[in-house]
Amino acid sequence: MNETTRKIIIDPVTRVEGHGRVTVQLDEQGKVGNARFHIVEFRGFERFIQGHPYWEASLLVQRLCGICPVSHHLAAAKAIDQIYGVDPENLHPTATKIRRLLHYAQVFQSHALHFFYLASPDLLFGLDAPVEKRSVGAVALEHEELARKGIQMRQFGQELIKALAGKKIHGICAIPGGVHKTFYPEERDYFLAQNGKPSVDTMIEWSREVIDFMKAYHEQHFKWLDSFASYPSGHLGLVTDDGTLELYDGRMRAIDSSGEITLNDVHSNDYLKYFGEGVEKWSYMKFPFLRHLDRNTGWNRVGPLARMNVSDRISTPLADAEMSEFKAYTNGRPNNHTMHSHWARLIEILHCAELIKDLLNDPEILNEVDRAKVNRRPEGIGIIEAPRGTLIHHYQVDEKGMITKCNLIVSTTHNNEAMNRAVQWVAQNVLDQQKEISEGMLNQVEVAIRAFDPCLSCATHAMGQMPLMLTVLDANGKVVAEHVKGSS
Amino acid sequence: MSEDRPNENRPGLEPGTLVFGIGNSGRSDDGLGWAFLDRIQKETALGGQLEYRYQLQVEDAALISGVDRVIFIDSYRGDLPNGFQWTPCEPMKEFAFTTHVLPPGAVLSLCRDLYGKSPRANTLMVQGVCWDLQIGMSPEAERHLENALQFFRSYWQGES
Repeated sequence: MNETTRKIIIDPVTRVEGHGRVTVQLDEQGKVGNARFHIVEFRGFERFIQGHPYWEASLLVQRLCGICPVSHHLAAAKAIDQIYGVDPENLHPTATKIRRLLHYAQVFQSHALHFFYLASPDLLFGLDAPVEKRSVGAVALEHEELARKGIQMRQFGQELIKALAGKKIHGICAIPGGVHKTFYPEERDYFLAQNGKPSVDTMIEWSREVIDFMKAYHEQHFKWLDSFASYPSGHLGLVTDDGTLELYDGRMRAIDSSGEITLNDVHSNDYLKYFGEGVEKWSYMKFPFLRHLDRNTGWNRVGPLARMNVSDRISTPLADAEMSEFKAYTNGRPNNHTMHSHWARLIEILHCAELIKDLLNDPEILNEVDRAKVNRRPEGIGIIEAPRGTLIHHYQVDEKGMITKCNLIVSTTHNNEAMNRAVQWVAQNVLDQQKEISEGMLNQVEVAIRAFDPCLSCATHAMGQMPLMLTVLDANGKVVAEHVKGSS
Repeated sequence: MSEDRPNENRPGLEPGTLVFGIGNSGRSDDGLGWAFLDRIQKETALGGQLEYRYQLQVEDAALISGVDRVIFIDSYRGDLPNGFQWTPCEPMKEFAFTTHVLPPGAVLSLCRDLYGKSPRANTLMVQGVCWDLQIGMSPEAERHLENALQFFRSYWQGES
């Protein structure tokens, strides 16, 4: 390798779901120009689901992902309900509660996976930690109790999913106009009772502990948490009619970086009026934006941080108190600190644990579900807040009920522009005019992307291997820096 | 095929034995691990606690901490003598983890570090040749599966 030819490759990027590629373009003075986060894999689910009967959609599309299949299952189920002839408010109350319980278990386990397995090494060992420390294995060695609790929290969510859907991954809970099975008392009691394993009360207790850990960590490290990859953005999420954070069914609200409303609590079925999707030849992932603004100003973050920003309150008391504290830190103004996503994610873990407890104690959740009568429509739209953010499923069917069109806007796609801005921030603030690119510097690119908890497999609906690479190019597009980080 | 089908303790293997079948029957020979478990489910002389996995998970460290013996069965891309290989498995010195890959040695390493347990472990790799999106394995993989099963039966009779 000579001095003028270096190529930086992260292969694969660690601790995100799926793979992608980052390129950093230098100008003639060696300063960073464009820095882009590319998704370079084929997108196929929207196409190959065409021609399938509508009731298959919620089963097929969950195969997009092994981490958040429940989210796709439920978003599709809500859309398919509409095609079946049932709007969310008309679904049997017990069916709604069972679906909500499943959804909260999914958000709980997914957030636990991200925080404990993927993100915690960044916080516990720092940006410049040696490579061998950047894994849950190192967390296990040096923070045994935290690691054990993280494992048990994810297990709790996974077991609840299994109880409701039959399997931890790719199970079946929702059917058009109802749910697949009744939730039985002995199943419910398993999660309420201690009996030698953690109960839902333990989950609430541990969720509070980990929030306390995060707040203490923030007190010690606020300089970098408040500045790293921090930049103004819009924020998008679902809220209830009174502005409360909503994960399963609500209205779409967006605000700009100063807090001004840019999308005023619109109904899910109207999403097409408000959202456009930009494309770039260098990425298969689209760039959603609000049509009445433009591509440069109409993009939004989604996910835990965005949800904290767009919501006025949380419906459960402990998480609501934490949200108040979170909002107070930025004096009630939108929080644009990317690394605060972890803090927001933990507040949602607590919120979900509280919601799960409430539903487990709700006698109605054990009722038999009467499935609604079919009254077919040609189109259905389902929107939920998946762990990573707003997830949109939209289907059209012909007179025989065969799917003719499918549009999916997944959380990571909403975050596409935001992740590109984060990469740009690291490139300009960390990699700019550096003669040598260290492992720690490379890790900072990953840390910025990782804060969004991206699911790149979902975003591209891709199959197979797609490693993320970081490449530095000179003004002529020639590779000038090369560095291999890790291996598959 | 299902990753989460009911598990049961089978006669033949000592109660403290856990057998993981790793793979995906929707990708042809990648289903070898599951096919192996399907076969020993039907044989009363073999068994143990059987777990089907698309891939190993961090949480499996907790599961493994409760057993004396663990066996990981997975498909293998590459040439193996008679189409399979039986090897001891040790905790990995260099921990590796992504949400798409968690090697058996990494799970053993987590089990040791978090729960202070190091069950005796082996891997049984069975050679596959076809990884397309399809149900059903190649004739070569079926042959390798038979060879591996034959070995496993003999091995286990010698152990018990």
